[in-house]
Amino acid sequence: MKSQTPWFRLSSLVFGFAFLYIPILSLIVYSFNKSKLVTVWGGFSTQWYGKLLENDQILDAAWLSLRIATVNATGATIIGTFAGLVLARFGQFRGRTMLSAMTTAPLVMPDVITGLSLLLMFVAMEQAFGWPAGRGITTITIAHITLTLSYVTVIVQSRLATLDGSLEEAAMDLGARPARVFLLVTLPIIAPALVSGWLLAFTISLDDLVIASFVSGPGSSTLPMLIYSKVRLGVSPDINALATIMVGLVSLGVMITGYLMFRRERLRQRDMQLASSAA
Amino acid sequence: MISTSGLNISIARIAWLFLVALMLAGCGKKEVAVPPAAPATGLAVATDPEKVLNIYNWSDYIADDTVKNFESRYGIKVNYDVFDSNELVETKMLAGSSGYDIVVPSSQFMERQVKAGVFARLDKTLLTNIGNLDPATLKQVAMYDPDNQHAIPYMWSTDGIGYNVDKVKQFAPDAPLDSWSLVLDPKYASKLKGCGISVLDAASDIRSIVLIYLGKDPNSQSPEDLKLVEDQLMKIRPYIRKINSSQYIEDLANGDLCVAIGYNGDVLQARDRALEAGNGINIAYAIPKEGSIVTIDTMVIPADAKHPKNAHLFMNYLMEPKVAAANSNKVNYANGNTASEPFLNESVKNDPAVYPNAEIKAKLTPELSVADDYNRLLTRTWTRFQTGK
Repeated sequence: MKSQTPWFRLSSLVFGFAFLYIPILSLIVYSFNKSKLVTVWGGFSTQWYGKLLENDQILDAAWLSLRIATVNATGATIIGTFAGLVLARFGQFRGRTMLSAMTTAPLVMPDVITGLSLLLMFVAMEQAFGWPAGRGITTITIAHITLTLSYVTVIVQSRLATLDGSLEEAAMDLGARPARVFLLVTLPIIAPALVSGWLLAFTISLDDLVIASFVSGPGSSTLPMLIYSKVRLGVSPDINALATIMVGLVSLGVMITGYLMFRRERLRQRDMQLASSAA
Repeated sequence: MISTSGLNISIARIAWLFLVALMLAGCGKKEVAVPPAAPATGLAVATDPEKVLNIYNWSDYIADDTVKNFESRYGIKVNYDVFDSNELVETKMLAGSSGYDIVVPSSQFMERQVKAGVFARLDKTLLTNIGNLDPATLKQVAMYDPDNQHAIPYMWSTDGIGYNVDKVKQFAPDAPLDSWSLVLDPKYASKLKGCGISVLDAASDIRSIVLIYLGKDPNSQSPEDLKLVEDQLMKIRPYIRKINSSQYIEDLANGDLCVAIGYNGDVLQARDRALEAGNGINIAYAIPKEGSIVTIDTMVIPADAKHPKNAHLFMNYLMEPKVAAANSNKVNYANGNTASEPFLNESVKNDPAVYPNAEIKAKLTPELSVADDYNRLLTRTWTRFQTGK
């Protein structure tokens, strides 16, 4: 395809990168701002990182958000995998349409509705059988699993749909029981989908403001709730400092995952070469 | 403080309407009185067996060490959460079992919630510092909560005019800075059109303000008066650039606006931002001589609070003169605590934007909630004003 001029490709690349990264870069740059105003540059300083370490409120909220996001992502991935498996593999069964509709409903439902209905459900449950007692970390986590479950289900289901069914059949022909087939054949093949589902669930939970606002209770302000309530009186640059640290951690995580995946892929290719030369 | 951020309003408002419809209509909860305090023995204070207190307050609305000092003095662990919209609080209160022991709604919202029976009656024997409060402020709160049975005032704020001192002088040198006519009289509004006028997007606030300007009862619910208000507003509509409740902070600070009808806290914030940015813009706030409306944020205890005694203890602590003064010094809002005045910073006490003088203070009126029928008329009027048709 030599007909395409390189400058076009180059400028689309530059535009794409600029579109994606300039906001993050400006956030990082302003975390080193001396001025208290987020939009006025007042010289270089790292004072906000020091201030951040003293600000228990923000650190507690960040830690809480990370814990909720981790538990949520794990829970949503487990349940979502089963839901995806059932929808993709069990053929037609009674209630399939219902299950499919219910798992994907939170995808299209406005957060406000999800949040409010969960709040009313938690209150009704507490009155009926005393659990969950009050609202807090547990209820936020349950609410987030409800929301992110649907994303994981869709990812797993579509991955399974494109998966070659003959691999599983071959394993069963060789005498493996269904549970064994799932653990040794299906799961490793769909592992990348599980990882991306987990990460997506993690991100959505970390990001959610609306649902968490409804189902939170005393002592369970998540980071988005805290930041949002501060916006009115002006966000202070220690939020930028926190965001910079989080961006750093996330980039590090992505790089490590990328490296591990790359290594695995190389190992796999080598194994395949070995296998074919042995045959 | 009055919530204005757009997103949160839309988040909460829909849900809140749902709930108000659901709950206010159907069930009137039984009002629960707080159990009487154990007889005070010597120095002991009445606390709950569980040394925990859950507080839900506006964000950035308290001094940094207020909670810490309370925790160390009484050995009670405080969970301090913040919100920035009355609607979200109302949703949580009406849904019930919020888990909070102290909540700080604005007075108009508190009135409705008191009627819905979601708050506990205060045990005044535990509130020994209540005498520190300004009787005038207590009386204003009593307009929403008869006999101050459920709520005590925390901070109060006013509606007024924020203006860019130099620009107003330049565009309308003859305009009075201490009168609503600066905005509401077409004679001056037309001159200020070029440098920008903004009005709060708050129908009931603006209607009360125009009624005050016209010399009527600010809480009048007569359709005839509303018609006069509309006529007045339509006269100045062509000169208004923005009808908005939060953008004006930034715009005033950046010099994009000349005059704004706004809340005192917001205008002071615009003033501070301009000072910090060092852009030479000089913002001032005035409560017009005709009078204005006052909003009081009140402290209440939900009926299902698990730690009502700790909540009373904290309320009583907040009414201590030094504590109340420290909070006002930090957040730049007036606290309605007369005994705290000697401990206020001069810059706060003498700032007429925070503590107006007695003459103006006497002309401040709380804004009462209105009947549904009137509210419909008001909304229609406001829509016509917004669209300018």
